Amino acid sequence: MYQAESSGTLLRERRSRPAGAGRRGARVSRNVVVLGAVSMLTDVSSEMVSAILPIYLVLELGASPLQVGVVDGIYQGATALVRLAGGFVADRWRRYKEVATLGYGLSAACKGALVAIGGTVSAVTAIVLVDRAGKGIRTAPRDALIALSSTPAALATAFGVHRAMDTAGALLGPLVAFGLLLLAPARFDAVFVVSTCFAVLGVAVLVLLADGRPRTRSESLGLGTDPVAPDSPPTSAAGEAPERVQPTLREAIALLREPRFRALVGAAALLAIATISDGLLYLGLQRRLDLPVTAFPLLFVGSALVFMALAIPAGRLADRIGRRRVFLGGHLLLLPAYAMLLVPSGGMGLVAVALCGLGAYYAATDGVLQAIASALLPDRLRASGLALLVTATSLAKLVSSVAFGLAWTLGGLELAATTFAAALALALAGAAWALRRSPEAIA
Amino acid sequence: MNGRTLALLAIAALCVVAGGAYVAVATLNAGDTTTDARPRVVVDDRGAAAVGPGSELLVRAVDPDHPRLNGRAYRTEIAPGATPAAAGGLACERVYASGAGGGLCLAVKRNGFSYEGLIFDRDFRRRARFPVPGVPDRARVSADGRYGAFTTFLSGHTYSAGVRQFSTHTAIVDMRGGEYLLRLDELDVERDGEPFEHADANFWGVTFAGGDRFYATLGTGGEHYLLEGRIGTRRARIVRDHVECPSLSPDGRRIAYKRRIGNQDRWRLHVLDLRSGRDVALAERRSIDDQPEWLDDDHVVYSDDRSVFAVPADGGGRPQRLIARASSPVSLGPG
Repeated sequence: MYQAESSGTLLRERRSRPAGAGRRGARVSRNVVVLGAVSMLTDVSSEMVSAILPIYLVLELGASPLQVGVVDGIYQGATALVRLAGGFVADRWRRYKEVATLGYGLSAACKGALVAIGGTVSAVTAIVLVDRAGKGIRTAPRDALIALSSTPAALATAFGVHRAMDTAGALLGPLVAFGLLLLAPARFDAVFVVSTCFAVLGVAVLVLLADGRPRTRSESLGLGTDPVAPDSPPTSAAGEAPERVQPTLREAIALLREPRFRALVGAAALLAIATISDGLLYLGLQRRLDLPVTAFPLLFVGSALVFMALAIPAGRLADRIGRRRVFLGGHLLLLPAYAMLLVPSGGMGLVAVALCGLGAYYAATDGVLQAIASALLPDRLRASGLALLVTATSLAKLVSSVAFGLAWTLGGLELAATTFAAALALALAGAAWALRRSPEAIA
Repeated sequence: MNGRTLALLAIAALCVVAGGAYVAVATLNAGDTTTDARPRVVVDDRGAAAVGPGSELLVRAVDPDHPRLNGRAYRTEIAPGATPAAAGGLACERVYASGAGGGLCLAVKRNGFSYEGLIFDRDFRRRARFPVPGVPDRARVSADGRYGAFTTFLSGHTYSAGVRQFSTHTAIVDMRGGEYLLRLDELDVERDGEPFEHADANFWGVTFAGGDRFYATLGTGGEHYLLEGRIGTRRARIVRDHVECPSLSPDGRRIAYKRRIGNQDRWRLHVLDLRSGRDVALAERRSIDDQPEWLDDDHVVYSDDRSVFAVPADGGGRPQRLIARASSPVSLGPG
């Protein structure tokens, strides 16, 4: 068995080598698949809850729209507060698995708390806050672990595998939740109990099966384990503690001064500002094509299916032809989706074009961006850097949502869509210019 | 198989068993809606004796501890020792029936999270259903059983005094099949002969008068007007202010309603004589957020969301509890 498997790997290696010129990694490591499974189980758990949370708040607890809005705002925003802390703490003590476990564990405990004390709006608000804090804590160390568990040549593929599994969980979650409500109408407690089970299982897989100190990267090629900052601390921190290896907060912040990383963060944020948020894009499609409101969740399902199906191929493609190329090209796929907001009338075919464009965009950009950054960042500050990057892009997305909403309200949907399409084209040119110096070997 | 794999399998098995068992129990309990579980809706003997026996009420059970019993419709005579009986298998968030038989039940849909209108016949059998957006709050049926009306909250949960804190959807439907006849925000409204702009208004609490006439509340910018309208002409006029959730008496001469106290979300029940304009506060001193109902020409019934009470309509006497653990009272006439 072992032999057959390894010879198969060898064969594949040999076949791919001439074409890929050694750029294509062998296979995704077991640790990445384990982390993918953890994310999948956790996503089933949390998407079950988030799918029913608004109706639970309104129907069962009698919450006002303002209260639902506050909970939703926390849901979207609370992750940013602790993301940077989670990334930095993981780097400082090199405890990626432990910090990630803390994050996953917090969220699992919150699902249990919903069962036990989720009977008032204030309790649910507090629980949601802690749950999202858990998500914020775990994201960067988890992505750093994925990077540590992968060979540099297969980084984008590894992230692709992880995102595909993650999205599968996000798709299954609402199905499980609504299935349960069909079985036992209005029994939200049953949904919370099952959600807790999935979360606990996710933590168990992480604790029992994930390797917290993968060695893959240290064996890796001469790409430089620390392309940004070689072994010595950057000049700013030099002289302070030459013997220690623990990164300082100043070093983490100084990452933003490193030209190539700063260019990447800037390019990603620029593109994110010109990107219409999913929710608003779906709303625009629904208005434009006069879809029934009940079709709304289906739009999400459609694009997530495409994302799930294409995440791995897109990662492989990025590892083969260049991550920067795939990342930038992925944004081009948004243009047909935007165009669907401008056509005067259309049928389901146009919806399909828009959803395929959006899903493929996610597949080509989400994990690939993390792969570019992971390759660029030094080992010792990877989680901090990934956290910085995600914080920057999510802030940019917030700006984009407000701007698009404002443009839509003031000038109408066509104007808003046209403006954003033009802005995206400009942002792409700017991003291509900013990233021109990042070598294809990394990006 | 190493220890870690074994531990994971054990945890997985535990999760499957525990989660599965919980869901199984929840599913089995969900089936309870169709069984005739013990009613906890209880007639208050003292109140029933005080108000005087003879009338019959339809109510919905308030039983938050038993979600499967909550909302189930019961009918009962108002007499000491009377036993409420389940009215068909109906479970409603709000219910109303006409003396002519048949009524309207705003019910949770089978999916457990959205609502629909159910039209039932005199034997409480479902005859038709129609879509209902939002969260049910009021229901009413005309005396001849021809028209039904309902109010739902599209956003918000109470008739807050604050502007734009809530929005309602109020419509009148044909009780034969549930077709929409009129959404109240489509009405042409007049005040003192002048067109009244009501783009930002909310409408709620319909009560039917004879023919296609009705009264309702129009709330806008902190004002709450009594509206009198006709379904056929789709026109209405503002009659008076400070009237919410009107309810026309059986003799058609008085309106029982809830009157806001100051600018707060607190209400006192009042009765207004439409001809003389005489207005009296009723003896119930607690804040009541309900659309009152007339038990007979002399008594108004209402609920505090836990129990059903009656109070004399002339402002005298004192409130009497009629039925414990019930709300949405509907007079079915003399029993």
